[in-house]
Amino acid sequence: MTQTVPHRRTASRALLAAGLVASLALATGCAKSEDDNNASDKGSSSAANENAGQEVASPDGGKTCDIAAFGGEKADLKSATVGFSQSEKEANPFRIAETASLKAEAKKRGVKLLTANAQSQFSKQISDVQDLISKGADLLVIAPLNSDGWEPVLRAAGAKHIPIVTVDRKINATACKDYVSFIGSDFVEQGKRAADQMIEATGGKGTIAILLGAAGNNVTTERTKGFEDRIKEKAPDLKVVFKQTGEFAREKGQQVTEQLIQSKPDITGIYAENDEMGLGAVNALKGAGKKAGDVKIVTVDGTRNAVQGIVDGWISGVIESNPRFGPLAFQTLDSFTKGDKVGQDIVIKDSAYTKDNAESDLSKAY
Amino acid sequence: MSELTLGRAAVDRDRLLRLLQDYGVYLGVAVLLLVNIAFTPHFLSAENFRTQAVQVAPVLIVALGMALAIGSEGVDLSVGSVMALATSLISLYLGYGAWIALIAALVGGVLVGVANGALVAFIGVQPIVATLALMVAGRGLALVLLPQLKDVRDPGLRSLGTGDVLGIPYLVLIAAALALLVAFVVRRTTFGRQLLAIGDSRPAAQLAGLPVRRVLVLVYVLSGALAAVAGVLATARLTASDPTSLGNLMELSAITAVVVGGTPLTGGRVRIGGTVAGAVLIQLLTATLIKHDLPPSWTQIAQAVVIVLAVYAARERGKR
Repeated sequence: MTQTVPHRRTASRALLAAGLVASLALATGCAKSEDDNNASDKGSSSAANENAGQEVASPDGGKTCDIAAFGGEKADLKSATVGFSQSEKEANPFRIAETASLKAEAKKRGVKLLTANAQSQFSKQISDVQDLISKGADLLVIAPLNSDGWEPVLRAAGAKHIPIVTVDRKINATACKDYVSFIGSDFVEQGKRAADQMIEATGGKGTIAILLGAAGNNVTTERTKGFEDRIKEKAPDLKVVFKQTGEFAREKGQQVTEQLIQSKPDITGIYAENDEMGLGAVNALKGAGKKAGDVKIVTVDGTRNAVQGIVDGWISGVIESNPRFGPLAFQTLDSFTKGDKVGQDIVIKDSAYTKDNAESDLSKAY
Repeated sequence: MSELTLGRAAVDRDRLLRLLQDYGVYLGVAVLLLVNIAFTPHFLSAENFRTQAVQVAPVLIVALGMALAIGSEGVDLSVGSVMALATSLISLYLGYGAWIALIAALVGGVLVGVANGALVAFIGVQPIVATLALMVAGRGLALVLLPQLKDVRDPGLRSLGTGDVLGIPYLVLIAAALALLVAFVVRRTTFGRQLLAIGDSRPAAQLAGLPVRRVLVLVYVLSGALAAVAGVLATARLTASDPTSLGNLMELSAITAVVVGGTPLTGGRVRIGGTVAGAVLIQLLTATLIKHDLPPSWTQIAQAVVIVLAVYAARERGKR
């Protein structure tokens, strides 16, 4: 059999392809979403919110590093090029605010910033950073996807004495030798503070469910450990009776909570390891006919939706995980390149939202 | 003599296997129901059955389309991405009102189906490869259209996710209606018979002069449209568009439901009742493990075991 393609069919295929492309263009062209204006306002204001920059929790504690110890020469940050490697797509509020904060600070200081996004693929992040180096980055800010596997990058950067600051997640390497400093939150501490809020909301008595984050993620294990340790230590009458993963997603958080309130209708509180799962839990409680405050919910992150949830009475407390690394990262790089000492482990102070400050601080949430 | 008994034993074994393949899924559902009634607190309540039914509805709707694709000796891996695309399109068009947004989402699903169908039917790409391409492209497109989660405030769409008629949630009614519709299409329409003939043997169907290409395109269009409906319902239930995670691994759940339900991967046969039961089986399995607070990794392992059993059954069937 021979496969001859008549002209007619080729033409129809071309038409089909053209139709698909045209409808795609149409899809984006005449889109009109709900409250379009509000959304774009909100995005820019929260990203550039200067009142909500990070503060250092322990400025003078711990080991320090300076350029003499690290190797390399002093420079002026203003004339340098900084490369920023983001780990995940800017599809969630944390990553959006993080990237926006670094960009805003670079602009404010007049520093040239090169950016790359690894789209959650570690191999891409490795090549991203190598690209940034070859494009002439003198300094690097990295939001690592993984803690391990950084050897090739560290070797390439080390050969050129390129200082590296990692933000929000640590890498397994030697500070002040392979990289300069780590700036980030203490996730165990976040878990402990969430436990404190849960104890306060429940009066230290009852049963608690935990909506875990994604499995095999250090954020999940540390937020869980901090929470459970503090509960055991401070409120022995508060029992954790349910631990299931919501994979950091709202839909999964909702589905798991729906199962939970069917089988344990008298649950006292729910600790969600991020805001999205907590908002899913709120959906589930609403669907089951519960009223705001019937089940105490404590979450971690500090997104605007969750803080609004406190105002509405559905959420008892939100522990912030501040993504606005821009000011602190550039300040660290600035001091370091001038020859000053900088901390190796810069732990930031995360604030918290409760019903006392949720309404007034809503604009600080990201 | 001995040969005869051996032969009879083989026939018995064969019949038993076939019975298990055809009705094992119902048995599985019954066993899980009994186990839960006996051991799970508050299982026997209207509220609980409502929860399970609402959660299974989107999976079932996707599985119906998947059953058609598998029945035509194909598969549709793009369904999860179509759900994501649908949720993005809803958010993008909600400014015009809920109906326009719904139509936009459906059109998105249909277009992905057309692309899948064209690749499979006209260009001759293997279904697994063609729909894999659309799975990747669809998710990417969904994220281009809507880069981050966005809340849905439209009251009409929200009531679609939470409302009910006489205590039966809209989601469940829609899923049931679609299951009946697809069952009717498979059994009673020319298209249904042609689909099964193509699934049985595409060359034979071609020789018999059946409109093979048109039928195949329609199969993937239906699968895309059903996945878009599931995406709309999931969005309404979540009251948010979340193109990053909506529909993730949905293709696996749907394939599992179809195969566990006794539809052979080799095509030529579609069992809608079995597919419904297959979806319910997975839902009950997940619910059981969550309700008893077993470690989350167990859920994955249990699902894997069900998939292996189902594929084993399909393999036995394929040999005959």
